[in-house]
Amino acid sequence: MQYQAAVAWGYMAAAMEGLNRVERLASESAVVVFSVSTCCMCHAVKRLFCGMGVSPAVVELDHEPHGDDMARALARLLGCHGPSAVVPVVFIGGKLVGAMDRVMAAHINGSLVPLLKQAGALWL
Amino acid sequence: MKARDQGEGDRNTGLPNQLMATNFFDQEGAAYFGELEEALMHGVAGITSEQEETSFCTSRPPTLEIFPSWPIRFQQASKTEGSTDSGSVQNTISQMNSEESPGSRKASSELSGKQKEEVASDAPQTNQKLKTQEKRRLVGSTSDKDGKELDPKTLKRLSQNREAAKKSRLRKKAYIQQLESSRIKLTQLEQDLQRARAQGLFLGGCGTDGNVSSVFDMEYSRWLDEGCKNTMELRQGLEVHLPDADLRVIVDKCLTHYDELSQLKATAAKSDVFHIITGMWATPAERCFLWMGGFKPSELLRVIMPQLDPLTEQQLVGLYNLQQSSQQAEEALYQGLEQFQHSLANSVAGDSLIESANVGNYMGHMALAIGKLANLEGFVRQADNLRQQSLHQMHRILTIRQAARCFLAIDEYHSRLRALSSLWASRPRENLMNESAVAVTTELQIVQQPVDGHFSGF
Repeated sequence: MQYQAAVAWGYMAAAMEGLNRVERLASESAVVVFSVSTCCMCHAVKRLFCGMGVSPAVVELDHEPHGDDMARALARLLGCHGPSAVVPVVFIGGKLVGAMDRVMAAHINGSLVPLLKQAGALWL
Repeated sequence: MKARDQGEGDRNTGLPNQLMATNFFDQEGAAYFGELEEALMHGVAGITSEQEETSFCTSRPPTLEIFPSWPIRFQQASKTEGSTDSGSVQNTISQMNSEESPGSRKASSELSGKQKEEVASDAPQTNQKLKTQEKRRLVGSTSDKDGKELDPKTLKRLSQNREAAKKSRLRKKAYIQQLESSRIKLTQLEQDLQRARAQGLFLGGCGTDGNVSSVFDMEYSRWLDEGCKNTMELRQGLEVHLPDADLRVIVDKCLTHYDELSQLKATAAKSDVFHIITGMWATPAERCFLWMGGFKPSELLRVIMPQLDPLTEQQLVGLYNLQQSSQQAEEALYQGLEQFQHSLANSVAGDSLIESANVGNYMGHMALAIGKLANLEGFVRQADNLRQQSLHQMHRILTIRQAARCFLAIDEYHSRLRALSSLWASRPRENLMNESAVAVTTELQIVQQPVDGHFSGF
């Protein structure tokens, strides 16, 4: 009984740790991209920002301590439980924008650039 | 005509001779055609002894409804004529067959076509004629309704008509049987299709290509047909200057239509991404312009924009920005895809392409490569997403009439690409042969020239 509680507490602690780290890192820079070094879609989103003249802060989950916890926290934030990878996940101005499709949609409908300017990541 | 074989009675249900004798008029169809014959023979001599025999009216159970489309007529016929069951039908058929001659066969085939038309149109008249025939029968005369005698020529024509009627009944029966079996086959095929579709989703990356891709191809051709209808509606709506509210409905339908294609492609890509991304579902000319399994948004915009005039300053800016952001997004996706290709190539190449690698290594690298292939689906999905977002943004920037013209232009452009493909596919081949012949002759000339004068110095 105590053991089960301890295990459950262990999970919760890890989850909270992951979420805390995510939130802390997300608010450290204007644009934060959570990525995996081998992920091609993450490469695409990085190129997108670079092409716009924005240099995002990249967090490579496979190189970070507690990377798995952060990945799980991100999955919970996005509400996805499928086998597909959770990354890339983009935060602008400390707020969650979303995965690749959200970022693309925001760029096409013209809401991404104002968001970047507001966060101070883009000057024009 | 009067020969009635007792031997045919193997299919006989045991009716007495007299009842068999009434067979000619006792069948639903025969009775019906009998009425037509009356109409055709208006003014001709009266009925023969056969019709005398039919004066014996018995109440008989209604015949099997082989042709359920004629319920009223033949029920009435069965009541008045006393129709038989299928056994006597076949009996009559064999009797009629025995009396056939080449001449009557020709005549009956000519008549059957006419009779079919008459059958279709004579429904109300028949009921009246049934009553007259009933009256006549009760009287028991050998004449038609006008009280005239029927001569042998008329009798022959009567029998020919009956033969034609019988033949058309048989054909109809065969056709219905064919329809029934086709229907069963169709339901079986649909079940197979459902099963295959379900299987396709489970098999995932290593799916049965033939199954899933052909399913998508069918769905895509259906999607194209729907698209044609939408295009026509758009064109009509613009021509008649529909009010904006109505036009909006059509434009929204078009937008939804494109959303559907994204959905179809996403589902198909789960099982067979190569089929989608290599554009095997598209025509050759479309494939030439293929970008990540579909059209390139910025390129389409570049083609369409000049044809959308007049545009306001604000709209021009909006469309220009759309083109810019599309290009940036496309570039980003393309670079992501490039990195994917680098990574996949590395996996396939492995450590040693030259030295024969051991099986373990080989399979390991292959497994790695297959794992990476799953990412391809993500790129197709993002590309489709980009296409969708671009179309929606165009819809937001433009007015309803402009949006209608925009979608019309997009549909027309793609259908012209498809037309180009079929024109190209059906181009005359002899042109190719002439071209190659010309090339050969010019080569010969070039070879000859040095001999002639250029290199006389040698």
